[in-house]
Amino acid sequence: MTESAEAVDRAGHESRPVNDEVVRITDLSKTFHKRGLKALDDVNVTLRHGTFTSVIGPSGCGKSTLLKIMAGLIPATSGEILLNGKPVTGPRQDIGIMFQQPTLLPWRTSLDNVLLPIEIRSGSAAAKAHSEDALKLLELVGLSGFDQVRPYELSGGMAQRVAICRMLVTGPAILLLDEPFGALDELTREYMNVELQRICRERDATSFMVTHAIPEAVFLADQVFVMSARPGRIATVVDVDLPRPRTLDMMTTPEFGALVRRVRGTLDMGIDGGGLV
Amino acid sequence: MTQKTELQGAPSAMSAAEETWYSGTWIDRIPQPVSITVLGALMLGVWWLIYEIEFVSQVLLPGPVETFEELWDATTNILTGGHVAEGLWITTQEVIWGFLTAGILGFVLGVVVGETRLGRKAVMPYLVAFNALPKVAFAPVFVAWFGFGVNSKIVMAAFIAFFPVIVDTAAGLAAVDADTLMLFQSMESNRWQTLRKLKLPSALPFIFAGLKTAAVFSVVGAVVGEYLGGGHGLGELIRFSAQTLRIDRVFALIVYLGVIGIVLFGIVAWTERKLLYWHKSDLLEVEGKFTAGA
Repeated sequence: MTESAEAVDRAGHESRPVNDEVVRITDLSKTFHKRGLKALDDVNVTLRHGTFTSVIGPSGCGKSTLLKIMAGLIPATSGEILLNGKPVTGPRQDIGIMFQQPTLLPWRTSLDNVLLPIEIRSGSAAAKAHSEDALKLLELVGLSGFDQVRPYELSGGMAQRVAICRMLVTGPAILLLDEPFGALDELTREYMNVELQRICRERDATSFMVTHAIPEAVFLADQVFVMSARPGRIATVVDVDLPRPRTLDMMTTPEFGALVRRVRGTLDMGIDGGGLV
Repeated sequence: MTQKTELQGAPSAMSAAEETWYSGTWIDRIPQPVSITVLGALMLGVWWLIYEIEFVSQVLLPGPVETFEELWDATTNILTGGHVAEGLWITTQEVIWGFLTAGILGFVLGVVVGETRLGRKAVMPYLVAFNALPKVAFAPVFVAWFGFGVNSKIVMAAFIAFFPVIVDTAAGLAAVDADTLMLFQSMESNRWQTLRKLKLPSALPFIFAGLKTAAVFSVVGAVVGEYLGGGHGLGELIRFSAQTLRIDRVFALIVYLGVIGIVLFGIVAWTERKLLYWHKSDLLEVEGKFTAGA
């Protein structure tokens, strides 16, 4: 298991940052001119290598907008995003992204879905050459033997694991997760959080996750960004210093509870008038 | 992945309540071959009864027996290469050429409309408006333009069958999942790749819904063309039989028109099943809504 993960690591991770700063966002703002809406205002973020960051905030606080700008999917109004020292001006191979829905192509097998990013960027021959890597990734997420299965035969959790592999196959420097387990049931979701932690540790990944769930945000993160709405800005940063690997049992400890309360406290203040939740 | 639950021990018999719960009342438990046959026989019986009591004049409504005799005559005529065979062949050709023209033209233009902003914004509203017109009303125009030969019928069939294909193709391309589209954007997919690897495959259920409608419509188009534009097809034979009050022959010939439609529809449906092996019920619902609207 670890051996294969390392092999994938070697194949995937080539561009290590010189210092351990992977992402630096400076004075980022976004205005949707049509609606006259200031979605993001003066956001400043630094993400260090191998860390997990959760972003939480009320709906409409611009957290998904922030993630899309970081992915190069929509342009910022002002400010700058540096990924490994280079400004993000559009989609890039070293950015991995994952959504609430698995967005697998139903006519493709798991393996071909995982290989899709390579096929799109470098053609079918290159994709075929990476089959071994893709199979190792499927093994990493616990789906060995499911490479020839089509999405409709997979459960929601399994489909999201395939989506994780597809995100990892190009060896991205940053993983952008947009409520990745939001559509799963509570039990599967908790399990997937433990799995995600394991995968991120094995891959030494730098991750940035948008979520609605406070316990999930705290459980996975080294730091939790709490955002406030209209205009969207980062109100507070809560550092989570719980030891790793974290277990589901930890969620019942007083330390965990205190962190959740802290996040909830700042979150409530961020909402207009407070006490809406 | 697929776990089979093995029942332990001998299966116990269902209680009466369970049986009703799972398979309904006795009327729901009739095997389908039996219920279909019984219902068919019932309809024939009603037909025969109406004929026997002369509810309508027997000249205007032939009985089932007369009609089956006529159907038999038509069949022997077709098998021996008589004038019915000739008519069937002419109409079949009109339907096939009309369907192919509509299918290819509708698909290509549907892609152009669905893929371009101008197409979606400017062309689509016109298509929807045109689609609402009673297109058979154009038949005399096509006869005037393309004459009394097969051409005017092919044009009529293609014209009427074209709209569901172009509208469904364009709608299918526009209905692509927004998140998946964003995923392709994040993979730096170019327009052609996105079209070929995402939009066209996911639009296939829509496209096939359009093609199935087109299969039925192209028969309608060909026959309406023949009613108004003469020629030697089945439509003309039907028109002539009706004028000479040979309603039994009309019915027999309509059966053969139905055969053309069903065979064409069957070929399209069979191709769809082969191509859409991945297509599951959640998408079928979308398709269902669309066919209902078309």
